[in-house]
Amino acid sequence: MKATPVKLDPRGGRPREKSKTYIEGLDRMLNGGIPIGNTSLLAGTVGSGKTTLAMEFLINGAKHGETTCYISVTEPSSKMLENLRTYGFFDDSLVTEGKLNIFDLGIINDRLGVERLDGSYSSKDMEALLGAFEDIVDELQATRLVIDSITAVCYQLPDRGSIRNFIFRLGQFLATFGCTTLLISETIVDASTQTYSIFGVEEAVADGVILMGNVQRQGDLLRTMQIIKMRGAKHSRARHLVELTPIGLSVVPLLKWGQETGTMFS
Amino acid sequence: MSYISEVRESFKAGDSLATVVVPANDYRDITLEIVSKLLGSKLGGIYVTTSRPATHVVAEMKERKASLNDLYFVDMISLTVGGETGDPRTVFIDSPTMLESVLLNVGLLERRIKAKRHFVMFDSVNGLSIYSDTRMLKEFMNVLANTMRLRKTYTMMLTVAEQTPPELESVLVTLSDRMIRGEAGDG
Repeated sequence: MKATPVKLDPRGGRPREKSKTYIEGLDRMLNGGIPIGNTSLLAGTVGSGKTTLAMEFLINGAKHGETTCYISVTEPSSKMLENLRTYGFFDDSLVTEGKLNIFDLGIINDRLGVERLDGSYSSKDMEALLGAFEDIVDELQATRLVIDSITAVCYQLPDRGSIRNFIFRLGQFLATFGCTTLLISETIVDASTQTYSIFGVEEAVADGVILMGNVQRQGDLLRTMQIIKMRGAKHSRARHLVELTPIGLSVVPLLKWGQETGTMFS
Repeated sequence: MSYISEVRESFKAGDSLATVVVPANDYRDITLEIVSKLLGSKLGGIYVTTSRPATHVVAEMKERKASLNDLYFVDMISLTVGGETGDPRTVFIDSPTMLESVLLNVGLLERRIKAKRHFVMFDSVNGLSIYSDTRMLKEFMNVLANTMRLRKTYTMMLTVAEQTPPELESVLVTLSDRMIRGEAGDG
């Protein structure tokens, strides 16, 4: 009797359709890209390259004909645009043609019909904010969204339960729209515990976690990236080096012996 | 057989990785001779320099009247020593400890080469050993060798005969398709 051939792919099954990042090396780590409709945390400390990566994800999508949207919670959109112009991979026409849409909190407040949203959100405010995000994605028919940062939004929510509820519902409607989303999450350095968010609940609700950080090598700081989880994708779990090149960010595997013990900052 | 003859033979034989072991006294002459002759054979090239600024190598190549149209550089030293960093044909690496950047930038520069066939000259293993320990260097050379093999890029690793410890030499012998040692007095 012939033995049944063993499948070499540990996951098997039919792969989900992917949203390519078009970032050199990252799509290989993700086995083709981020599953369409996933809401993922892009976590890391200050200066680890989160905003650059998120922006390149949008810009590359826009260059391939998608409508993309960036919501800045912490910076005015004009300042964000000025910073973007310093990157070789940015093209102003993407903004004028409506392929890359940049909003800041002032614009969101106008949509919500309130003057300020810098205190604690009531459940009504939270509903209004979710509604505003939903309207923006729906009106633009956006297929890629970045919220920078979800941490700043979470600071406005009264408790961890509200944060969980907010991200869960946000992820639900974005999945319905087929909108692939990156939520930028600020983390702090803690030598004993690896954290992916300030409040500790965001990563549980998100479909994916991409962790950016730094490692020291003989005093030099190297930017790193690691995919912690990505629902619906067989992905690499190895730590990689991230570098800004003339064509945008590039990712290559990090040498194993080049990581000094106890000096990783994520 | 001279160094350049052995290199040509190695290239024609379809080798991926050759280690070129050069005596310290003739190091500059032999290195520049190999690069000039390969460029003269209508090959494109990438020169990875770990011990001298790329501007210095360019100046020496110009003196030899070598064709530099299709030669690009990865310079791992200029930013460390405060050298000139404006050359458009050169990628400058922040620090010689950032070995992964070499792999990444060689890959990017390969896209700029116009010639159908090209080479990568890695000058030198000894230069890198100043900044990285043997364990890490061994890992890097293993990754580099296999990356280049997959890319089907002809790569030469230069070593100074008198400065290469047996442990490192043994790694190079294992990884390389060919060890090129030339003949005494070769230039």
